[in-house]
Formats: sequence, structure tokens, C-alpha cells
Amino acid sequence: MKTFKIAIVLFCLSLVIVAFFWLRSCTKDDYVELGTDDKIDPTPTQIQSIKAIGEWEFLSVNVEELADTVRKGFFSDDELMRIYYGTLRLGVNMHNVEPGWFVAEDDSVSLTLPAIGLLDREFIDEARTKPFFESGSWKPEEREALYQKAHQNMLLHGLTKENLAAAEENAREQIGNMMKAMGYKRVGISFKSSSVNSKP
Amino acid sequence: MKNNKRLVLTVLAVVVIGLLMLFDGQFELSSDGAGNHDDTSVGVGNQEPASDISLVTQVRKCAKLYTAEYRVHKIVTHDDVLRLKGSVLQRQFNIKLPLGDRRIAIPIDAKLKAWIDFSQFSEKNIERHGDRITIILPDPQVTLTSSKIDQKNVRQHVALARANFSDAELANYLEQGRAAIIQSIPEMGIIETAQANAAKVLVPMLTEMGYDENQVTVAFRKQQYSLGDIQTLLKIDD
Repeated sequence: MKTFKIAIVLFCLSLVIVAFFWLRSCTKDDYVELGTDDKIDPTPTQIQSIKAIGEWEFLSVNVEELADTVRKGFFSDDELMRIYYGTLRLGVNMHNVEPGWFVAEDDSVSLTLPAIGLLDREFIDEARTKPFFESGSWKPEEREALYQKAHQNMLLHGLTKENLAAAEENAREQIGNMMKAMGYKRVGISFKSSSVNSKP
Repeated sequence: MKNNKRLVLTVLAVVVIGLLMLFDGQFELSSDGAGNHDDTSVGVGNQEPASDISLVTQVRKCAKLYTAEYRVHKIVTHDDVLRLKGSVLQRQFNIKLPLGDRRIAIPIDAKLKAWIDFSQFSEKNIERHGDRITIILPDPQVTLTSSKIDQKNVRQHVALARANFSDAELANYLEQGRAAIIQSIPEMGIIETAQANAAKVLVPMLTEMGYDENQVTVAFRKQQYSLGDIQTLLKIDD
């Protein structure tokens, strides 16, 4: 009788051990998580317009702008800081040349080009903007105001007299080389506006 | 009696804190209503001037002739559903939780430009045969010169149980949208357009030099580009 009881106990014990290892193997890869998917939905990219342009770029200025805005509250202030990236492209737009801009005679050539300036006022790559700090909730119009502020500051720091002068100097050198490659020995280059205007 | 005093004091404290919080919210609302958070402006809303840092990271001399401009538009959408995912007893489950939806649509306008590099231009790029002249140009290259979020038309829906989209989340969606625009460039035909437009800029210059339009040829190394070729011609800042 005693032996029978011991056998029953051993059997039950082995059942428990087997059940334990079975449950452990079944739940080995178990996990539960609360989450979201960060991927954007696939949407088409539409071409809105195609334009033929003739813009000569002679100097590119890469600017980073850490712009921030603060909204005062009673208990605490809200703040939004973002880093904007932009490239100001300086050069001449060939669509603005005037009749008689190119005068060639024998081995001499004289070019009168439009003034060096900013080729495109849209120069910020806003989709590349990096978030830096955010407290509080911000509306789209507030983000737009911050973008405009960054745009103004970038113009102020990138569109300088020095940069315009450097672009003009490089334009003389590059166009001069090109004309010499075309066979002209004497090359004269002038720009429409002699005074460099750096105002944004 | 003591208990009553405590109760009154507690109620008073709660009322005061509530009023203060209400005023704080009103300040925020009033500044939103002004719709102007430009720190450079004086006396607008309840803002104080903030310091901005501008850094010119690179100034580069170049000689690029931009000949084609494409304006593209994309609406970046994201359906942010809160899900309970997992595996129990080797059975997978993925349950959408109620009251956890957030959706956003962000319109982006981007500008792509194709250009030809003239910095290495020399006699080697010119072939003369009698009265005829052929200008051989390097392959056009493409860059994304700007992108702009149409903030006025951003639409979003946020369920009560969820927080608003943060700036970091928005930046992540925009980065993906920008990458999708760049990925679609090879299908746009911008390289071919740039080649065709190059002649429109260079031929008038050569006619001024005394050549007849029929005597001028603007040629490129290749006329047809594979998707692999175009990938190498994309010059996009990271």
C-alpha cells in the first residue's frame, strides 16, 4: 500500500514537472506590447510644373539656423526650437540679359551680365528640419511664423556683400575661362549693377 | 469646528489653483489668437524675445548652369493607430485599441532643379568641323533646392485619449516624405528635360558669337539614362 502511494506521488510530481517544462516551452516567445507604426502611408508625388530656366550659380552658401519661439504662460513658458537648413545660391539669371549683352569682335568679347543676386528666394529645405526642443503644443501657423523668421535670418547671414562680391569674382573667372576655351583671347565682363546690393 | 475650517481652507485652495490654471490657459489662448509668434516683433501677445543662432556652414565656389525646374507636390499622410500586439501560447494577436486614433495629412511642395557643371569646361568640350561647332557637356545632375510645408492646409485628428503630434514625430514623417520625393525623381524625366533646355540657353549665346543655329550642336555623353545612372546623378544634401 505504501509503495502504491509513493508511486502515485512520484507520478503526480513528474506530471507537474512535464507540465511546467511544456508551459515554459510554449510561452518562451510570448510578448505583449502597446505600440504604433511610424511609417507614412504611400501617396503619389505629383509634378505641378516644369520650367525651362537659365540660372548660373557661382557661389553656394549653406546655412543652418537654430530658431526658437517662446510663449509665456502663468506657471511655465512654452518653447519650440528647430534647426532649419538652407542653401542660398548666388549667381545670374540668363533670362534677364538685355539685348546687346554679348559683343564679339575678332578675338575679343565683351559681356554685360545682370547683377549677381539670389537666384531663388525659396532656399530652405523645410522637410529636412530637425526638432531640437519642444514644450507645450504648437499650431501650424506658429510653425509657419518660425519658418519665416529663420528665412529672414538666413538671408541676413548668407546674402552678405562679401558673398555677393565672391560670387561676382568667381563669375568673372569661370566665364572668362569658358570664353577663352571658345577661342577668345581678350574677355571683358561687366555686371549691370556695379554696386552690390546685399539687402534681403 | 476644526474640521470645518480645514474643509473651507481646502476648498479655497482648490478654487485658487483652478483659477490660476484657467488664467494660464487664457494667456495661451490669447497668444494663439494673435496668430503671431515672431519673437522679433515687439509687444505681440505674451512672448519674449528668443535668441537665434545662424551658422554659415559652407561657402563653395562653383559654375553650375541650372536649366530645368520641377515643382512637385506630395501629401504626406500618417494613420497612427494604437495597437496591442503580441504572442501568447504561440498565437499572434494584433488588436486595434478604441479611442486611440491619430491621423495627419501634411502637404509638401518641393523644388527640384537640374544643372550642368561648367567648372571643368575647357577646349576638350568643343569640337569644330568647318563651320560647325559641337559643345559636349557633362551629364546633368539633380538637386532638391527647397521644400516647404503648406502649414495652412495641414489637417489632423487626434483622439481624446492621445497626445498631439510632437515636433519630433512631424519631423520624422516629413523626412520620410522627402525621401519618397527623392526616390521618385528617376521617373520624372528631369535629366532629359535638362538636356533639352541646355540648348535653349547655350545656342543663343553661340549665335551671338556668329554661328548659325543650324551649325550648333549641344551634345551629351549619353542620351538615355538607366535608373542606376540617374541615382548617381542625384546630388541631395543629407
